[in-house]
Amino acid sequence: MTTADLWSLMPLLILAAGALLVLLLGALVPGRYPSVIAAVTAAGVACWMVMAPPLASLPGLGIALTPFARLFSALFGLTAVGALLLSLRYNDRQGIVGEEYPATLLFSLFGMVALSMATNLLVLFLGLESLTFGFYFLVACDRSRAASAEAGLKYLLSGAVAAAFTAFGLALIYAGTGTLLIAPAMQAALSSANPTAAAGAGLLLLGVAFKVSLVPAHLWTPDVYQGAPTPVTAFLATASKGAALAALLLLFSGSAGSGSLHGPLWCLSLFSMLLGNLAALRQAGLKRLIAYSSIAQMGYVALALTSGSGGHGAVAFYAVAYSAMNLAAFGALAALADQGGDRLEELRGVGYQRPFPAAILALSMFSLAGIPPTAGFMGKFLIFAAALKGGEIALSVIGILTAAVSAYYYLRVVTTLYLRPAEPSSPAPGDGMTAAEYGVLGCAGLLIIVLGIFPSPLLELIDAALR
Amino acid sequence: MNSGLPILSILIFLPLLGGLCLFAFRQQEAWVRRFALGVGLVELLLAGWLTWQAGTLANLPTTDLPGFFLLEDLPWIDRFGIRYLVGMDGISLLMVLLTAFVTVVGMVVSWQAVRTRVALHYALLLIMASGIMGVFLSLDLFLFYLFWEVMLIPMFFLIGIWGHGRNVYSAVKFFLYTLAGSLLMLLAVIGIYLLHGAQSGIYTFSLPALIGTRVDTGAGLWLYGAFLFAFAIKFPLFPLHTWLPDAHTDAPTAGSVVLAGLLLKTGAYGLVRFGYPLFPEAARTLAPLLMVLAVTGILYASWIAFAQTDMKRLVAYSSVGHMGFVALGIASWTPVALSGALMQMVNHGVTTAALFALVGMLDERSGTREIGAFGGLWGKVPVLSFFFLLFAMASAGLPGLNNFVGEFLILTGSFRGHHLAVALAFLGIVLPLVYTVRLLQEVLFQNESRPLTLPDLSLREGSVLTVMALIDLYLGLHPKPLLDLLKVPVALLTGGTP
Repeated sequence: MTTADLWSLMPLLILAAGALLVLLLGALVPGRYPSVIAAVTAAGVACWMVMAPPLASLPGLGIALTPFARLFSALFGLTAVGALLLSLRYNDRQGIVGEEYPATLLFSLFGMVALSMATNLLVLFLGLESLTFGFYFLVACDRSRAASAEAGLKYLLSGAVAAAFTAFGLALIYAGTGTLLIAPAMQAALSSANPTAAAGAGLLLLGVAFKVSLVPAHLWTPDVYQGAPTPVTAFLATASKGAALAALLLLFSGSAGSGSLHGPLWCLSLFSMLLGNLAALRQAGLKRLIAYSSIAQMGYVALALTSGSGGHGAVAFYAVAYSAMNLAAFGALAALADQGGDRLEELRGVGYQRPFPAAILALSMFSLAGIPPTAGFMGKFLIFAAALKGGEIALSVIGILTAAVSAYYYLRVVTTLYLRPAEPSSPAPGDGMTAAEYGVLGCAGLLIIVLGIFPSPLLELIDAALR
Repeated sequence: MNSGLPILSILIFLPLLGGLCLFAFRQQEAWVRRFALGVGLVELLLAGWLTWQAGTLANLPTTDLPGFFLLEDLPWIDRFGIRYLVGMDGISLLMVLLTAFVTVVGMVVSWQAVRTRVALHYALLLIMASGIMGVFLSLDLFLFYLFWEVMLIPMFFLIGIWGHGRNVYSAVKFFLYTLAGSLLMLLAVIGIYLLHGAQSGIYTFSLPALIGTRVDTGAGLWLYGAFLFAFAIKFPLFPLHTWLPDAHTDAPTAGSVVLAGLLLKTGAYGLVRFGYPLFPEAARTLAPLLMVLAVTGILYASWIAFAQTDMKRLVAYSSVGHMGFVALGIASWTPVALSGALMQMVNHGVTTAALFALVGMLDERSGTREIGAFGGLWGKVPVLSFFFLLFAMASAGLPGLNNFVGEFLILTGSFRGHHLAVALAFLGIVLPLVYTVRLLQEVLFQNESRPLTLPDLSLREGSVLTVMALIDLYLGLHPKPLLDLLKVPVALLTGGTP
């Protein structure tokens, strides 16, 4: 192994060493600083990715340090920093102590970074599974609430099924094509000249659809979102979704379009947009509302994927924008709902009692609804532009109509925050926020606005990454 | 003209900046009001100065676009050919002037009425002014869409926070109606962008470039249909008008004033600036539909207005009727009718804003807007009654006052070829007279139904209404300066179409 190889392995080494350090130090000197060390480690990975040396590839290990990996790993790293900072106060309050929480979060991040560097289907699978494995624990780590354990179990059971589908899909692809290198294997699998590999690609798609929670693999989403500690939900809804989208982009990057998977993707997109948006209309809990809305949002992303490689830039942009929006939404929720509750009614009139987090929450709702000038609008614009260019007119029209429906429930959150008087009996919610929370919410909010007005720099990065 | 100063950008962003500044000293309510009004007045002065200069500006052939005397063009999102392209011709100038004026009126009428969250209220008014300015000045479809959506948010909060009655319901209804329309328009915007790109290889959202796009009939009908749908909701054109009475009824006075004075105009403006020029053929094909809906709206709204017992609802329905005339003028697309429609937008903006302001003042004084609760005001509050009479008659189209000019031009310009429509629309002039006379009779003249003690207008209220009355009179007696402003752009717009 040369120095260059070692260099390109650095992000993974940093994460592995960091996770071990957090575990060790936590055992020796208890306290809350493991989270801080973890945050520093994650930030380190993000910095490494931004300043990473020229491309390097390790075919033996099935990974390569591509611009694609750099972009997505930086995104995951920053999101992890955000989630860790958000959880400092939240975890104190909920009694989630110990070093295993930040260490597992880093382990999850390890899986995401490995996935984004994958050139081999097996590494992709390992990355996907190890990141999900971390989440099994993170979701269930709030021992004071039964809902948390229940959510963890649900995620574990459905995740295991999805992993089985993915593994079987990989086996079929290997059987059909004789290779596990992503580019040639997927090219053959998508060309539909090879039924075995095509079936494998279908199963693989279903497995990844579970991670992004596309209908019909979405059933875990509302329960897990609701049950998990809010900062974990934030991390789950942003980095893990982003990682799964990165996996989809890697899988489809080798071929011109979605090939033999066009039909299945089309259906996944259609049903996700319809079911996600309609189900979100009826939710009383904010976390469940965002969970169903995320199903719908991923339907829009799938819409961009159906339109072939022209939509890949839109998918990558949406992954970033979506991370900013959800980090803002769940971060604000973690700051607002101090008792761990998330019923919408509890937020009545909070807009005037807690102006800053409420404004960030409202901003993220407008962004998720796709109102300009926000990142969400720019993302939707890119998606629909790609979809129309790709000739997906019917699905675009359905998408726009469901987006109009979605505005109703996003607006309900804003309405509750600002237009409904607070109940006189209810105690003024919450104590002050920590500087870390201000920082995360402020950055996420700023990013939502900046990406909505000046998307060009990010689009250029994405262009370089997808080339 | 290129004086180096980005005047159009100042017009668009000054209110936004001013609105954000308000939060810095949000506790000192008196200063918040003064500062906001100051920003509004600077904006109005700027617009007024541009109008004053318009004669000289228009004669300078300094921009590449015919009819436009101010242009600003900066690259924005290059890869999609999205530019920050704003321009001003006579039509935009008129709308900008109206926007600046009505915004100031909105501030003045809420001076006393708004006592909670004052800074937020004035900030929202200013931010909305920014959005509306942007709508009237954008020449890039993407930019236009952005401002078009942005102006919804402040109005949503204005109705929802300071409104009364079912304010939350009305605010949400307003938002969802207009959003549903504009989202379809977004698809159409992307559609024409892709169509033009496929034809010419140049991907751009710039309106002047896109106007040359060849659109085949089928696609044109769909794309234009989406535009028309979005604009018709804003208009509001029958049968898409149902959000309007609710929004008006429950909105605070300033909200009603801005809604009637400005937001309704953006739909008509969009149709004139974007809908017809981009899809002339489809627009011609669908003109009869527009005309039928316009005339139906005129008659239906007058009919419903007759049955209202709430003054605000009555004025709201009369708005639907008046905007029907604007739609009729646009649908006939002759120079005379189109000038009339644009004039009528200004006329309706001023007159209806004044009527809503008056209803708001009565509401502030008595706590009710029921027509039946008043009576005998003429003897009790003579100044208020005088203005009420004047603006009500102006709204009903009394010759010598401004609305008459607009309606006259629209009917004259539409008569050739559309006899039946004009004949029916004429009924729409008579019917408002009936319900207006009834309103005046019941509120001002007949014996009072309840002993209400009302103070007459304050100096602040009196002066803003005086200005509006003078504008009504001036435009009614001497509309030529405004018509001159419209001559060139209207001639350019109607050039190729019969």
